Amino acid sequence: MHFEGSVPIKASRDKVWAFVTDPDQVGQCGPGVEKIEVIDATHFKATAKVGIGFISARFNVAMEFAEQQPPDRALIKAHGQAPGSAVDATAELRLSDGPDGATVMDWSADVNIAGTLASVGARLIEGTANKMIGQTFDCMRAKLEA
Amino acid sequence: MTTEAQLRTSPEIGGMGHSVKRKEDPRFIRGQGEYIDDVNLPGQLWLDIVRSPYAHATIKGIDASEALKIPGVLAVITGKDLEGYKLHWMPTLAGDMQMVLPTDTVMYQAQEVAAVIATTKYIAADGVAAVLVDYEPLPVIVDPFKALEPDAFVLRPDRGPDKQNNHIWHWESGDRAATDADLAAADVHIEQDFYIPRIHVASIETCGCVADWNPVRQQLTLHMTSQAPHAIRTVLALVAGGAGLPIYEQNIRVKTHDIGGGFGGKVPVYPGYVLAVAASFLIGKPVKWIEDRSENLQADSFARDYHIHAEMGATKDGKITSLKARTIADHGYTDAAADPSKFPAGLFNVITGSYDFPNAFVEVDGVYTNKPPGGVAYRCSFRVTEAVHAIERMVDILAHEIGKDPAQLRMENFIRKEQFPYKTPTGWEYDSGDYAPALQKAMDMIDYAGLRKEQLEKRERGELMGIGISSFTEIVGAGPSKDFDIIGIKMFDSCEIRVHPTGKVLARIGVQSQGQGHETTFAQIIAEELGFPVADIKIEYGDTDTAPYGLGTYASRSTPVAGAATAMAARKIQAKARKLAAHLLEANEDDLEWEPGKFSVKGSPDRFKTIQEIAFAAYTNHPQGMEAGLEAVDYYDPPNLTFPFGSYICVVDIDKGTGQVHVRRFVAVDDCGNIINPMIVDGQIHGGLNMGLAPALYEAITYDELGNNLAGTFMDYLVPTAMESPAWETAKTVTPSPHHPLGAKGVGESATVGAPPAIANAVVDALWHLGVRNIDIPITPQKVWAILHEKGIS
Repeated sequence: MHFEGSVPIKASRDKVWAFVTDPDQVGQCGPGVEKIEVIDATHFKATAKVGIGFISARFNVAMEFAEQQPPDRALIKAHGQAPGSAVDATAELRLSDGPDGATVMDWSADVNIAGTLASVGARLIEGTANKMIGQTFDCMRAKLEA
Repeated sequence: MTTEAQLRTSPEIGGMGHSVKRKEDPRFIRGQGEYIDDVNLPGQLWLDIVRSPYAHATIKGIDASEALKIPGVLAVITGKDLEGYKLHWMPTLAGDMQMVLPTDTVMYQAQEVAAVIATTKYIAADGVAAVLVDYEPLPVIVDPFKALEPDAFVLRPDRGPDKQNNHIWHWESGDRAATDADLAAADVHIEQDFYIPRIHVASIETCGCVADWNPVRQQLTLHMTSQAPHAIRTVLALVAGGAGLPIYEQNIRVKTHDIGGGFGGKVPVYPGYVLAVAASFLIGKPVKWIEDRSENLQADSFARDYHIHAEMGATKDGKITSLKARTIADHGYTDAAADPSKFPAGLFNVITGSYDFPNAFVEVDGVYTNKPPGGVAYRCSFRVTEAVHAIERMVDILAHEIGKDPAQLRMENFIRKEQFPYKTPTGWEYDSGDYAPALQKAMDMIDYAGLRKEQLEKRERGELMGIGISSFTEIVGAGPSKDFDIIGIKMFDSCEIRVHPTGKVLARIGVQSQGQGHETTFAQIIAEELGFPVADIKIEYGDTDTAPYGLGTYASRSTPVAGAATAMAARKIQAKARKLAAHLLEANEDDLEWEPGKFSVKGSPDRFKTIQEIAFAAYTNHPQGMEAGLEAVDYYDPPNLTFPFGSYICVVDIDKGTGQVHVRRFVAVDDCGNIINPMIVDGQIHGGLNMGLAPALYEAITYDELGNNLAGTFMDYLVPTAMESPAWETAKTVTPSPHHPLGAKGVGESATVGAPPAIANAVVDALWHLGVRNIDIPITPQKVWAILHEKGIS
């Protein structure tokens, strides 16, 4: 599945960059995130509970900043597993200057969902994913614009 | 129809033609059936299965440490563990290999990856959730056409250096050159692609077993859901022998109990069975495994998945001259079809159907994909549903193309009664048939002419109504030993009859009921042949320690093969009974006359001995020199298959706003030869029609591009209920099989085979004037609405 969008954020590019590349900060905005564990500067692990329809699963996710070009671009790879389900995702963030000192974050993500979650929740995945993405960016914007 | 006048036995005896109430039903309706999940043994452990989320991935590691910390989890079995016993792969019934558990690569979503053994069902499930498997995803192939591309990822590198591709086999039948020549020269040449999607039998009872290895007695008892318990016993003995395990066939007992629906899905040997046996062997305790619904829908063998390209040649007035079909068969990651060995595409070459034409050629290529094993039946006798769908759709397309009424076109092309036995251009010899009266009967019942008039009027008003016909020929009763075997075992079947001194009968059969009513119908066969009342006859099956060897129940083979064996065994008993009667009546054998239930002296009807008196004498007063007892066994090798047929007519109305197809009427005229129990035959037809309606309008297993099964629950896999089912209208014609001892043909699958094209033909008939030539099944409201929307109707 491919998702993409563009989010204007009323904050400087450096501030946004610092936020999105800090697992402890950005991690708090992930829906259902219960725990963040930083391994090193580019690797971290997260535990998140995800529910689609009547199915919920606790995912252990390994994430990696595969590429970083501060303060312009970051490529994030994630591999998550839950009993009977798995998620593999690659997300790209591109930051650019918006009007009035704001920052525009263009993002895209390719997400592959396998197993029970995809099989049983297929009809609900896209809607749920869009909702979760919306929640994530609302949270990030709220924290950055505060 | 067998009329009352033709009945040979009284209602008290209840032989052929009587609608005897089913002897098995009291225990079912009182909740006293014993299904596999009702079997619980002392000290029993539970097995649950870790399944792959990926459709194709490398297993980099399996970490069971967290699972093993859970109190009550006793063991976690992986492919590496089984590899030590050479049990990680096992043969399929089609001669391919399948994994019991993978050592390094998973091939489809929901494939078994590890097994957890625990003290309770719930602890086993907790253990499954705690097993961590490290996967590396691999490219997934779900499209069989992509699987055949030269640069496609080779899914089964284990097959040896000359088979490094995804092509499993090629099979063909008929005369390619003659068919091509006829198609090139034909006045009318039509072509159409059909996709018959994957479907799943979705029996109410899922699969399961309780494996019970007794290390002291060296005895394995396997309680399980199987349509073919003897074949399972032999496969287990062979697999154990290959692994060097001391589990020998005389010490293996397979017991099936009651089975809540089979339809072909309970023929294969699934890894769960083997894992339970392996676990019980290793631990020395009974181990139970029961699938849940999603496991059943995602991982058990599937039916259909045929991509058919059909061509038909005909004269300009609609006389069919040739048929050609090229088919790609998606078998998933292994060929686990339960087809007879010489027929990798089953009996698909019955595709010439009920029609008399000289040229036919059919070819099928089996292909591997990242899907669970496909190719088992769905209440269809070895790929006959796919064949019937193709020919019946093509005949309808031809009729519409040349502007001839589809009923008329069928009448003009039918094989005529006097042409039987009829040799088809693909080599079958149809035993008997009389197709025109069956279609005429259906037309009369539904008022075909009136419906066509109504359709014209409605079309003028812009309403969408269609009439669809299917005049199918089935091919069942596999089969003659010269051509039919499964893993080398010939497809005979058997019956053993013991008449007790008090005139009561115990008979055991090599086939296995999954709800068909064997306990009643086989008793009726014996009642017919020997005159014992049905109430005095007990039928047993499904215990390999006691039942004679047989290949089991599928492909509508019970009545054609084991039913014949039962009649033949009964006749052996009747022959001995005649000798006993001659002795008792002090008459010459040749002077005795048989009527059901007694022998009498010709010309002296008062001098007779009842079969019960004869049975008593067999143990108390048999002549010197004759063996005591009254028993017989028969292993019946049918001389040919049987060819039931029928004509179905369906009327549909289509909602222009939603695209929903409403089946207004459905008339089914079936001919299954002589009928044993009309009530049970009607039940089989009703059930079969529902399982024909299902794939026509509702059921399909689809996969996303990552190989995720998108129909893993009954939310997405729409099994029709009473709400969706029309009021089926049934009738019969009777054309006996000339070679079956009872003239019977088998009926279990006729309706499933015959119904889908009648429905599809009706829908296309409703839309033909809009330029619609074909809609692949299932014909969902979405598909129809999209067409109506595109045509500016909806």
